[in-house]
Amino acid sequence: MNKAIILLKNLLLSTSQFNIFRYTTDKKKKGNVIGNTIGMTILFAMLMAYCIAQCIGYGKLGLSEATPVLCALLISALAFVFTFLKTNGYLFNFKEYDMLISLPFDIKTVAACKFLYMYIKSLPWYLSISVAMLIGYSIFAGFSIATTILWLLLSLCLPLIPMVLASFLGFIIAKIGSYFKKTNIVQTILTFILIIAAFMSRFVIESVFKNGQVRDVLEQSKAATEDAAAIYLPADWFAKAVNELSVTAAMLLIIVSILLFAVVFAIVGRYYRSLNSALRSHAASGEYTMGAQKKSSVVNAIAFKEFRRMTGSTVYLTNAGVGEILVSLLAVLSLVFGFDRLVSTVTQNAPIDPAILRPAIPFIIYFCLGMISTCACSPSLEGKNYWIVQSLPISKKTLYQGKMLFNMYLTVPFMAFATLCICISAKVSLPDMLLYLILGFVLCALSTTWGCICGIRHMRLDWENEVEVVKQGAGVGIYLFTNMITTMVLCVGSVFLGMRMDHRILAGIVIAVISLLTVLCYKLVMRLAK
Amino acid sequence: MLKINNYSKSYGGDKKAADNVTLHVESGDIYGFIGHNGAGKSTTIRAVVGVLDFTEGEILIDGHSVKTEPMECKKVTAYIPDNPDLYENLTGIQYLNFIADVFDISEKERKERIAKYAGTFEITDSLGDLISSYSHGMKQKLAIISALIHEPKLMVLDEPFVGLDPKATFALKEIMHEMCAKGTAIFFSTHVLDVAEKLCNKVAIIKKGRIIASGTMEELTEGHSLEEAFLEAEK
Repeated sequence: MNKAIILLKNLLLSTSQFNIFRYTTDKKKKGNVIGNTIGMTILFAMLMAYCIAQCIGYGKLGLSEATPVLCALLISALAFVFTFLKTNGYLFNFKEYDMLISLPFDIKTVAACKFLYMYIKSLPWYLSISVAMLIGYSIFAGFSIATTILWLLLSLCLPLIPMVLASFLGFIIAKIGSYFKKTNIVQTILTFILIIAAFMSRFVIESVFKNGQVRDVLEQSKAATEDAAAIYLPADWFAKAVNELSVTAAMLLIIVSILLFAVVFAIVGRYYRSLNSALRSHAASGEYTMGAQKKSSVVNAIAFKEFRRMTGSTVYLTNAGVGEILVSLLAVLSLVFGFDRLVSTVTQNAPIDPAILRPAIPFIIYFCLGMISTCACSPSLEGKNYWIVQSLPISKKTLYQGKMLFNMYLTVPFMAFATLCICISAKVSLPDMLLYLILGFVLCALSTTWGCICGIRHMRLDWENEVEVVKQGAGVGIYLFTNMITTMVLCVGSVFLGMRMDHRILAGIVIAVISLLTVLCYKLVMRLAK
Repeated sequence: MLKINNYSKSYGGDKKAADNVTLHVESGDIYGFIGHNGAGKSTTIRAVVGVLDFTEGEILIDGHSVKTEPMECKKVTAYIPDNPDLYENLTGIQYLNFIADVFDISEKERKERIAKYAGTFEITDSLGDLISSYSHGMKQKLAIISALIHEPKLMVLDEPFVGLDPKATFALKEIMHEMCAKGTAIFFSTHVLDVAEKLCNKVAIIKKGRIIASGTMEELTEGHSLEEAFLEAEK
């Protein structure tokens, strides 16, 4: 058998939930597999329902021809973002690197197989979007065997180009980071720069669509296709292939995807060993001289340990820090350009009075801070090191308190900074500012306690790669989903009710409700600690 | 079988983790590599098995350069790291079959060898269980079996006795003798000087990345114990 196939097969088998279910004798583990499968099925169903609903909406507006472009853009954007955030840990710097490289595999084969593994594992997500959008498209455009076959076939190629590009970017960042002693910090900073650049470019792209062409987008699907094609060619090839049954466009998409993969992985393979050597080996300075030592409380000691854990991992640091970076950026931009101008830029000059958005300031800030998976600092990240805290004379209660304290240390200063900056730029009165600070604080506390519950309830210590507990997993999924819905409801609710009642009374009520929820969550954490 | 010539490795700073290391392991040798923690043993071993990139010096396995002909080298080498990271969600037998597939071992041979070594290390009954349920010692045994499955010409072991029970330690020593008699070269690091003294015919002592003593056991100990020779060399 071809060695690439052997390796790929083994990589898939070694993370297969079915394999775990089949061979484990641990009933709890079997239960976890069943729970995860049910959870994932629900998430797939929700994603598909959302995509179908979106297509039906477009279809009713007579824009079904724009569906393929939307499908291609959505899949490409998701594939790019998720791959970019996962490269470090999946593609490079992975746990079993030593074992794999010492085996008679060509170095390029290992790099390519790790990429293909990532591709195959994420394919069900992209296919579920694609199939759902195909269903939505077929309802209005009519069912055609040729379109269906082309759509499904090309859907396999759609994530390839963004994934290869994201991997290459991840590779460049890792390569630059490997030249520095503080590899993790450099990698994280570069990642943040890219995320911020992507965040800013979103507005540029949106302005391309919205400046005078918003009507075209809504009324003429062809114009929308052309606009999208101008930005991202593969989306155009996909749309042409399925809308016009263009074999040329289909072939272009397939050939470019495969060529790009081959070229990028020829380059990555060439530097793969030197990159991993640099990432995985660190010199010890051996120059420590004993100085004064500080004593701190157990809870603080756990919080500090968690801080070091975070700064020692690019995946963790990127994930935990992105919200703080975005909120700081928002705060500075707000101070520089003013709240009103920021609102008009974000809403593309929509006729919205910025004053009505003021009650939503704490929620906007919290939306950025809470979108990180707070349960990342839950026990799952201890992984195989969990024995350390288990064997120490620390109660679970203290352990969880320390972890929650760390999350508060991480989020509250940024929340306070952003609230002050935005309130100053929005000319919010001092009493309102204080109210927003309190509201921001209780929101951070709720996020912390709720994240801790999700983390404890779905604790997973046997992970192969920390990406599995930082970005994936049932705990992270449940936390992020519930947090997102709650924040959106609170945000919209505060704006809506703020126009109908005194906003201070409203803020007071929200603070009381969130405080109550926080106390309940905290009590549940303490109960789980028993 | 293994020739390390003037190998050096630094991690960016001035300090070298391995500094001009030269040593030769012949077929049939059991070569012990000893030194303090952080002396450069693992840095050297990881470069030998192709895991660690290096720029200075040359490492040859069976006449092939690790740098320019890595595949030729890996085909004849087996490596057991000090803390083997195995695929936790595979069963023991799935993992062994993966390694056997990589080395293209026939079904008959793999069955015979797995049965033989799993029996020796008394883990036959556990081969159907997930590796995540194994103890550290069992994982170490599985890693050893996976290294033996393709009958390598060179075995490179990093602290192979850590975590093994006395019976398994004895079995491994016997296997090492058996392999050595067949012409396999064995290069291993250890902190257990008693084991090294009884097992090895050649030894090298590494300190701060430099080989400070090497040769046959007799040359190195000169009638003293290896422990005494080691402490003397370390002074």
